[in-house]
Amino acid sequence: MKKKLDFKNFSIYFDQYLFISITLLSIMGLFFLYSASQEDFNTVMKQSIFVGFGLILMFAVSQLDPDFYKTFSGFFLLTSIILILATIVFGKEINGAKRWLDLGLFSLQTSELIKISLPIFLASYLYNKPLPISPKHTFIMLILIVFIFFLVYRQPDLGTGLVVFMAGIYILFLAGLSWKFIFTSFGLIVLSLPFLWNNFLQPFQRQRILTFLDPSNDPYGSSWNITQSKIAIGSGGMSGKGFQQGSQAHLNFLPEAETDFIFAVIAEEFGFVGVCILLSIFFFILLRCLYLAFNARDRFCRLTIGGLSLVFASTLLINLGMVVGIIPVVGMPMPFISKGGSSLLSFYIAFGIIISMATHKKLMQK
Amino acid sequence: MINLEERVVEKKSFFNRLIIIYLFFALIFIFFLERTYSLQISEFSNYEIAAIENKTKEVLVQPVRGIIYDRNGNIIVNNFPSYDLIIKPWKILDLNKFIEEISIVIELNPGEIDFVTENFKRKARYNRELILKKDLTRVEIARFEVRGFNFPNAFIDKRYSRRHNYPHLFSHAIGYVGGINNEKLSSILDDQALDFDETIFSYSNGFLIGKTGIENKYDKILRGLYGKKIYEVDARGKLVKQTDYIQPKNGDSLFTSLDLESHKVAYEKMNNRRGAVVAVEIESGSIVTYLSTPSFSSNDISNGISSKAFNALLKDPNKPFFDRAAQGRYSPASTIKPAIGLFGLEENLIDWNFSINDPGYFILPEDQRVYRGWRKSGHGNVNLNKAIIVSSNTFFFSLAYQSDIDSLINHLSNFGFGKNICLDCFNPDIGLLPTPEWKMNNLNFGWFKGDTVNLGVGQGYLSATPLQFAYYASFIANKGSNKRLTFVDSQTTKTLENLPLKNIQNSDWDKLHSSMIGVINDPQGTAKRLKDLKTYTVAAKSGTVELVSTETKEDYKIIRENEGNRDHAIIIAFGPMPEPKYAVSVIIENGESGGSVAGPVAIAVLNSLIEK
Repeated sequence: MKKKLDFKNFSIYFDQYLFISITLLSIMGLFFLYSASQEDFNTVMKQSIFVGFGLILMFAVSQLDPDFYKTFSGFFLLTSIILILATIVFGKEINGAKRWLDLGLFSLQTSELIKISLPIFLASYLYNKPLPISPKHTFIMLILIVFIFFLVYRQPDLGTGLVVFMAGIYILFLAGLSWKFIFTSFGLIVLSLPFLWNNFLQPFQRQRILTFLDPSNDPYGSSWNITQSKIAIGSGGMSGKGFQQGSQAHLNFLPEAETDFIFAVIAEEFGFVGVCILLSIFFFILLRCLYLAFNARDRFCRLTIGGLSLVFASTLLINLGMVVGIIPVVGMPMPFISKGGSSLLSFYIAFGIIISMATHKKLMQK
Repeated sequence: MINLEERVVEKKSFFNRLIIIYLFFALIFIFFLERTYSLQISEFSNYEIAAIENKTKEVLVQPVRGIIYDRNGNIIVNNFPSYDLIIKPWKILDLNKFIEEISIVIELNPGEIDFVTENFKRKARYNRELILKKDLTRVEIARFEVRGFNFPNAFIDKRYSRRHNYPHLFSHAIGYVGGINNEKLSSILDDQALDFDETIFSYSNGFLIGKTGIENKYDKILRGLYGKKIYEVDARGKLVKQTDYIQPKNGDSLFTSLDLESHKVAYEKMNNRRGAVVAVEIESGSIVTYLSTPSFSSNDISNGISSKAFNALLKDPNKPFFDRAAQGRYSPASTIKPAIGLFGLEENLIDWNFSINDPGYFILPEDQRVYRGWRKSGHGNVNLNKAIIVSSNTFFFSLAYQSDIDSLINHLSNFGFGKNICLDCFNPDIGLLPTPEWKMNNLNFGWFKGDTVNLGVGQGYLSATPLQFAYYASFIANKGSNKRLTFVDSQTTKTLENLPLKNIQNSDWDKLHSSMIGVINDPQGTAKRLKDLKTYTVAAKSGTVELVSTETKEDYKIIRENEGNRDHAIIIAFGPMPEPKYAVSVIIENGESGGSVAGPVAIAVLNSLIEK
């Protein structure tokens, strides 16, 4: 239950269900990472600092009143956009992509922040608009969403770009986008797919999709990753090969074992049983978010909780779908598990905000 | 601002829409779970195998070939160890420094340093060993033994080469080993259910296969079975650790019937003349002597020879690579006469008392063509006994003239002509036993009576190999029965083959043997010069293979100016009589006289086999 503890005129806002399950996930993640990184203690140390810091951050963020986020949502969005622009100018390039801004202590993947600030801004913009959302507001919001999508996509980071785009669309949809508009634009998107294919996808991205559709057509060997991932998962069987016993990960057959493909390591070492246990924790978190959204104090909170939890769910599903080969490889971390500080911190912040939205009650609802 | 009613509508709409997305996600999630289930549970065994295949690398371990012995236990072919200096590149951080240090102990030439420098990085990356120096001398080995503790990443390893102890004596009989083509290699490995892969070699020359001779025919026995080391590898193919080792099974030793001493004698007596010597043990059909000369060093061919020396061998007009014993075709000439005589007896065309006058020639009644003997004046009154001793052509022309060609051919085929009479020889030729059909098909001419007449003295189209002559000699010695010839008794099953004769009695065989003894012992015998070369009795029949037909001795003197036109010398012999143990055939190309040129070689070989 969400709680409001009275502590000598000082209230602590806290949701033990989310807090415990997220902490549990984070700690499990550290163990998985230890194995996936082939027992690299440094990697795990670094990650645990992020986890510790992230949990504190989550707690701190949840103490602030939703009105604070509502008021400053524009400022947050603007800051995120500026950081992305700064990344485009000053960012360091890794593997042909400029996604990281060197902040001295660590490198920040700036697109991770906008996954949070965009839905909050949209929620704060739309919470007081009458139903259904008027074409004017729809149009303004769509422009904003597409603009931000392009900022991220240009880095290039199609995966995060898509999540950001979806985050925007979720809020619009939840806030009451008219069905007529939804069906019309869906039709238009389907019609414009060939155009998008030809003009917006990098050759390697097109190749990934082609390879995904037809694994035998693989001139650049891009299905190597997915093949090895499937072997890792499949060879785990019912109960897995045991902690640190995964040959696919430990003999380097599995690419990106610490980041995008960490799920394959888990599946290899802990089997179907381990997968089910892990996923039930994620499942529990999502159900808890659904419950919290239903009981939120106002429309802004509802939209924010709904939007952020859907960003979380989308990230997870894209990652899982990619690892088992039901969607093309796009580069998406597994929330709270994969190595990478930016993604980790952004989800702690997101859940901090969700807890804030869920626990701050007003005696008199407007 | 929105009013209360709208707030309720909004809340309801929000819930519906959130549920819609959640349900949509749930669908994807179920789909995902189904995929994971099918990977981990339904197709588990496939992926388990794939994961094991991923991380497993098998490295073949080459077996050592079996040793080849002669019939007295002398080693003919062995594996000779050489010692190579091998390093572990993945443990050596600074190659230049390492080379500098090890050069003090073992001198390296620039070629060796280049080879190591070139391959070092690649081998290091995959944890593979690298040969630094091949074939260390004893001094080098000793130096390394003393100071090797400074070099934990280098060691000396034994590699073999295939070595003949008598490189020229068995070049054609035993043959040699050499490299193997991929196709053959895969089929060998297939037999063991192995895949072609990296290999730890026991031989410095890598994969070996018997190319010729016994090395080839008994390759499977000599070869042994490949072992394998099983390693765990990472994605780059780097060896992580050895997980299993199935030892190779070395090849079995082979005990042949070959006789070392007789080869030494035959080789010495042949003295590099072109020809062949084949001797067999009559009772068993085992080949004890098998020599084709001139010969070559099988060690050079097995273990490396300069291309210049190799080309010289290839272009040598004496054709040292040509296995005359099993592939050289020679007319039997007069050595065929005992078989023809037997045919006359069997068909009741003659008996031992039948005689004709030999004026030195035979005139074919059909066309008055003259067929001459070797002695212009003839041999006077000759019966079968004398005809064999003095080698009367007229007698056998006349006998052949009366013969039915089909019966005669059938008769000769029982003596091994036109047949493969060896069970484990390498590519034996079957010679040519001509038939009227053969002549029509190949020469576009019908069979003339003159062809039959020529057959009577072993001239014309009939030809056979020294191996067949030895079989033929053994067949006569054994009175019309024989076993097929072999090199390795234990690996072959042989049955006695009989000449299906109705009218020939044991006494006929004795008389024939006695005539053939007369060839040497009779003062008129064509090989009488051999009489004192031995201490026991030998039966023989010599022959002189005419290469160019001449009318007179004067004509022959002209054509013999060219060595290649000179007659071949041939002899078959067996002894000791009356219970012969060994039969031998000797051919000396352009040797001219069967009795006095080929004969001494045959006797020397018999001596070495009989007089131990």
